[in-house]
Amino acid sequence: MARRITWFSLLALVLFLSACSSNSNDGGSAGSGSPSGSSSSEASPTPGDPTQADFSEPVKLKLVFYTGQSKRMAELAGNELKDLVKKEINAELEFVYLPWSEYGGGKTDLMLSSGEEFAAYTDINYLSKSVSKGLYADLTPYVDAYAPDLKSNVAAASFDAFKLNGKQYAIPVGNRASSAAFYSVMVRQDLLEEVGMTSIGSLADLEQYYDKVHAKYPDMIGFASADATYMLMYEYTDKNLNWINNFIAVNEADQDDKLISWYESPEFKKYADLMNGWYKKGIIPKYAVTNQPQLMSDWNAGKAMFFTGTATRPIEGIAGITKAVPTAKLQNYFLSKNDRPKISRGTYNTAYFVSANAKHPERYVAFFNLLQKNQELYDFFTYGIKDKDYTLDENGRVTKLTSDLFFDDWMMMNDKFMRFEKSVPDDFIEQYKHWDDDAILSKTAGFNFDNTAVKNEESKLNGVFTELVAPIASGFVDYDTHFPKTLQKLKEAGLDKYIAEYQKQFSAWYASKAE
Amino acid sequence: MAIRENKTLLIIFYVFIGLFALVCLVPFVLAVSGSLSTETEIAANGYSFLPQGFTFDTYKFMFGSKSEEIVRGYLNSVMITAMGTASAVIVTSAYAYVITAKGFRHRNVFAFFAYFTMLFSGGTLPWYILATKYYHLDNTLAGLFVPYLLNVFLMYLQANYFKSIPHEVVESAQIDGAGHYLIFFRIMLPLGQVGLVTISLFYALQFWNDFFLPLMLVTDEKLFTIQYMMYYMMANIQFLASGAASRISGAIIAPPLETAKLAMTCLTVLPIAILYPFLQRYFVRGIIVGSVKG
Repeated sequence: MARRITWFSLLALVLFLSACSSNSNDGGSAGSGSPSGSSSSEASPTPGDPTQADFSEPVKLKLVFYTGQSKRMAELAGNELKDLVKKEINAELEFVYLPWSEYGGGKTDLMLSSGEEFAAYTDINYLSKSVSKGLYADLTPYVDAYAPDLKSNVAAASFDAFKLNGKQYAIPVGNRASSAAFYSVMVRQDLLEEVGMTSIGSLADLEQYYDKVHAKYPDMIGFASADATYMLMYEYTDKNLNWINNFIAVNEADQDDKLISWYESPEFKKYADLMNGWYKKGIIPKYAVTNQPQLMSDWNAGKAMFFTGTATRPIEGIAGITKAVPTAKLQNYFLSKNDRPKISRGTYNTAYFVSANAKHPERYVAFFNLLQKNQELYDFFTYGIKDKDYTLDENGRVTKLTSDLFFDDWMMMNDKFMRFEKSVPDDFIEQYKHWDDDAILSKTAGFNFDNTAVKNEESKLNGVFTELVAPIASGFVDYDTHFPKTLQKLKEAGLDKYIAEYQKQFSAWYASKAE
Repeated sequence: MAIRENKTLLIIFYVFIGLFALVCLVPFVLAVSGSLSTETEIAANGYSFLPQGFTFDTYKFMFGSKSEEIVRGYLNSVMITAMGTASAVIVTSAYAYVITAKGFRHRNVFAFFAYFTMLFSGGTLPWYILATKYYHLDNTLAGLFVPYLLNVFLMYLQANYFKSIPHEVVESAQIDGAGHYLIFFRIMLPLGQVGLVTISLFYALQFWNDFFLPLMLVTDEKLFTIQYMMYYMMANIQFLASGAASRISGAIIAPPLETAKLAMTCLTVLPIAILYPFLQRYFVRGIIVGSVKG
């Protein structure tokens, strides 16, 4: 009898524990959200005014970075940087480095959910996910008081991009020309000049450039990618299109909230036909169908003629190519853009969040302010110590004396402070400086889609996209023969419902923005 | 006649095993030849079985700029493997002894506790909180092996070896006045050697190949193991190649050199590749001895 009771109680224990464990699996986010959620309301350090925080008490700040720490950076962190931060904001920095696989998930998630105190960078997707669990601190009260310099040196649109429900959950750092990303074609200028051309202004020019170079170097491939949706947009339509995701586009030239179902549009047909022509002609190599990564390798090996561009790509990408072709030069061109304004999403800057449990969020914000406070500090964080890690010439061009990286320059890059290396041609700098002059902020900037209602449709659509749509979009197969069947599959996967849901949310958001 | 038949069969077996071994060898050969090629050739032509533009530059580069880290990574790995295996074997066999000890009333309860963890786990987050907030294993050497000290599967394996030892041996020792310590150390361990060898091998491999514990618990570079350095590098390359990098920065970040990646692979695999044939000999001998005795 006693034995039976023991077994029963054991069984009860098992059931009880398994119920608990399944509970904690499903509801892990909710469970972990509540303690940090409550603490975020307590996050304000002093009762009363959060802008009057006491800086006399020294604090420790933990910064999480992805990639590794260079030797010089470690030295700097132990000496000059330490002194500077102590002096400026009475804090001590601890740097934690994680592999990139932990960005936006993995260990970063664990650290956030377990209530650790730290700051790290984020993107909009990760931000909205984490904020809904209450894992980010609301930094709104601290921006004006502790980051005045950062605020004046970084575009307001970037700040807006990292707001959710009017609250600032992440602080953008860096301010670079970011409009028209992927809308330009980045050309090997050295090849262009070699075949007797000077510049490219239209699709016809680009194809002529391909023909000439192809005649001279038949081994080279033309386009080092299989997606030219943005780059060719100016050629196949008079609209000014921008894409929210694979399926949905908007026309930035119209002041309305109308979404365009991209694959059903006549523009997509024109685009697919253009790409099919490129594929047949060999501008896109045949192996692109099965081995797309090879395209990028070919580009880096100097064996491709052009690629999609961004404002900064010509200087960022050049190092890779000059290893194989020392004389390579890169230049951005737009194809028949005419007077259509460039489109900016306002989100290409890196932003830092502070975890909800941080006791001194204001001190973190004050530290971010230091990063972009003035030219002197910018140089210090990006290039190290003058005459030891870098030298400047009379024109302000920088020569690095060490290959060790400090704060990643892609993150720090700010038009107000950034320096160019001696090898960068003057006309590039000129173009770069005026890059954003004719840019408009996309009407979709700041909109976040909540996919809960159409999760199934979304994953089905993505399946159809990979299997059937992508080959048409890249020109590997012919639009007229393959599209009708593909469209039918898209409809079956719930394209209409998906777009209707998107339109509903976007219209509501658009209307609230107008108010 | 029978012998001749066996011979044909043997030849067929050898051919198949040989072919299979060759297939297994291919990736390794590619890695070695890649690590000995020049970066430009790899970028231009992809991998090949023979090094293209044979050079030791990659190794020179790695040992020049990273020698300190690599040596430290090796030392850490060796230390953790040695310490981890030794302590894990003691803990595991002690637990196995407890749940097989005849006359111990609660042994089934303990067996159940261990078994329970095979069926249900608390998940990563509770584990992480327990390890960092309560046991403070983050950034300590202990953190790199203590969480793996008891592998329940291996514990049951060892328990089965103990069970196969005739109980009369233990009984006669007890009659002579031996306590549990004496029985465990002087009788069970020596007689259960076969099992010990097996589980030590499993443990050693697990500790050597592990990158999860350093990933979760260690941020101090001084504690990085060679496997974790490898994982770190691969994770960064994968991230940069996936295009996710442009999501946060819009930048093209030049990924680490292809050849360096392969050289790192070779360096990580090397010690195991060298040691394994020796370990395997002991492993096989252990089983044979056990089978003859048993």
